[in-house]
Amino acid sequence: MPIQIIAPAPFVTADDEADDEGGVRLDFDNDGDIAMDGDAPRRAAGRQSGGIVTPGEVVTEDPQWMRGHGTYLSQPLAPGGSQSIVSSLAGTISKTNKLLSIRALKFRYVPEIGDLVVGRILEVQTKRWRVDIAAPHSATLLLSSINLPGGILRKRTSTDELQIRTFFSEGDLLVAEVQTLSNDGLASLHTRSLKYGKLRNGVFMTIDAGMVRRMKSHVLTMNTSNGGGEVDIYLGVNGYIYIAKHTTPLTESGGPEGKSVSITRLEEEASEAIYSNVNEEISPETRAEIARIACVIGALAKNGVKVDDEMVHLGYEAALEEFLQGMEWGGDGEAGKRVVEAALAKRMEG
Amino acid sequence: MEGLRNDGRRWNELRRIHCQLSTSSTNADGSSYIEQGFTKVLCNVTGPAEPSSRQKVKQDAATVTCEVYFAAFSGTDRIKRGRNDKKVQELQTAIQKTFASVILTHLFSRSEITISIHILSQDGGTLAACINATTLALIDAGIPLKDYVCACTSGQSTSIFDNEGSTPDPWLDVNYLEESDIPSLTVATVGETEKIVALSMENKVRIEMLEGMIAVGISGCAKVKGIMDAEVRRYGKTRLEAATGE
Repeated sequence: MPIQIIAPAPFVTADDEADDEGGVRLDFDNDGDIAMDGDAPRRAAGRQSGGIVTPGEVVTEDPQWMRGHGTYLSQPLAPGGSQSIVSSLAGTISKTNKLLSIRALKFRYVPEIGDLVVGRILEVQTKRWRVDIAAPHSATLLLSSINLPGGILRKRTSTDELQIRTFFSEGDLLVAEVQTLSNDGLASLHTRSLKYGKLRNGVFMTIDAGMVRRMKSHVLTMNTSNGGGEVDIYLGVNGYIYIAKHTTPLTESGGPEGKSVSITRLEEEASEAIYSNVNEEISPETRAEIARIACVIGALAKNGVKVDDEMVHLGYEAALEEFLQGMEWGGDGEAGKRVVEAALAKRMEG
Repeated sequence: MEGLRNDGRRWNELRRIHCQLSTSSTNADGSSYIEQGFTKVLCNVTGPAEPSSRQKVKQDAATVTCEVYFAAFSGTDRIKRGRNDKKVQELQTAIQKTFASVILTHLFSRSEITISIHILSQDGGTLAACINATTLALIDAGIPLKDYVCACTSGQSTSIFDNEGSTPDPWLDVNYLEESDIPSLTVATVGETEKIVALSMENKVRIEMLEGMIAVGISGCAKVKGIMDAEVRRYGKTRLEAATGE
């Protein structure tokens, strides 16, 4: 027995009225006749409108395609019948030769070798740390893959093992690179470069992993206005971000641009100081600019704009102008949206 | 006013559904909010992440855990429900079991997916609203699902027409008053198929009535799926447009 279900009355809110187009959807209310057949055409039409597929939607029944991430094979209707590829995510279809995969709108970070990540120490073990990098599994950082004080080439001794907490202890933030991946996707990190290591003198924030664009360099140094001085931004590919006051000794040699450092120099630099837990003196001006950059990055991510070198700079400029106009500025809501729009307009201008 | 229910709906009419994705900006990987009539539910999903305890580790699949919180002000009487409240635990188990079968857990071995649900207002069909909210939050979190899981309630009015031999129509999507008045059940299906993944009834009803109630519930689920799907597509479209910088 076919049952007809009457759709509920459309939901109208104050800000919804523009979408409603003067009650076009009100015909839903008539006599419930749109009930069952209303869904079938939408399914087909959905593909064109923005190209979104949703879970359970058949992507293709053509056996020539191979299924990739975000899809699964449906049970054949008849034994020996053909299987169709069904989406398991809401997202866009991407085709690589004959491989069909779905890219979700939002997803958790999946580590890849060479990624620069910002992480937080979860646990200290005898010879290694467990680090939260926003991935399905926490990463490991071996004692042998950090710069020990006194030089990179020094042999690791049992004293180092006993003093493991003096390098990193629970809750410490660090910037590292993904060194290896095991078969089941567990990441192992390393900080064997002066670009990497413990983070201090700044603020930590998170955005969605997919919102950081992969770039040549994920450490930016910005010249801020209002006497804020230079500020370092560590854009972790995993969506963890650290914004800190620019520290001189590390960057003069290592530099965010990745100038290579000679091994002898490295030894001098890798002193006890890099594992210090004490913040330097940070002026109120710098703090304000760090906060402003954090607001800009938050607003960019919130409005769906990928965060990269260019957008951070443009967004920061836009935020400064917004600030100079004497507007309220809090990173979210209307001001954030205005800043992002201004930044996008600037990018269009070139 | 013949044939209308106490809130003016027909027997086969759904209450207004309003749903939203990505409602919480921090911490959760996916979040959603749903209103079905005056039943209001907020859902946050975290994961797949490192399991919070060793007991939860499964070698070949992700563990699904569910936490349900009733707001003390959500019902007609102010009741605080603790973690060990029977009703809370029942809901948690129902939701956890439902979604463990639909999430493609084998893709995330040794990890945990946590569903956290806040019930802000109860007006009948709490379990149904929780399941719908969870589906949306999981989609938002980008966790692979076999299909949408949509839930709906239906009740059987024990009317005087019984003795004429024709059973009255079952009522779709019962509200709080109806729920406390007549026997009702919650049914959850996978997508638009008629595959039932959850079925719960707390009252007694004559066996002849059951089939009709389930049938109405399943049709209601299909309708709910359409509404949720439309919202997911709308949300996806706006997100894509933002990403391309339009």
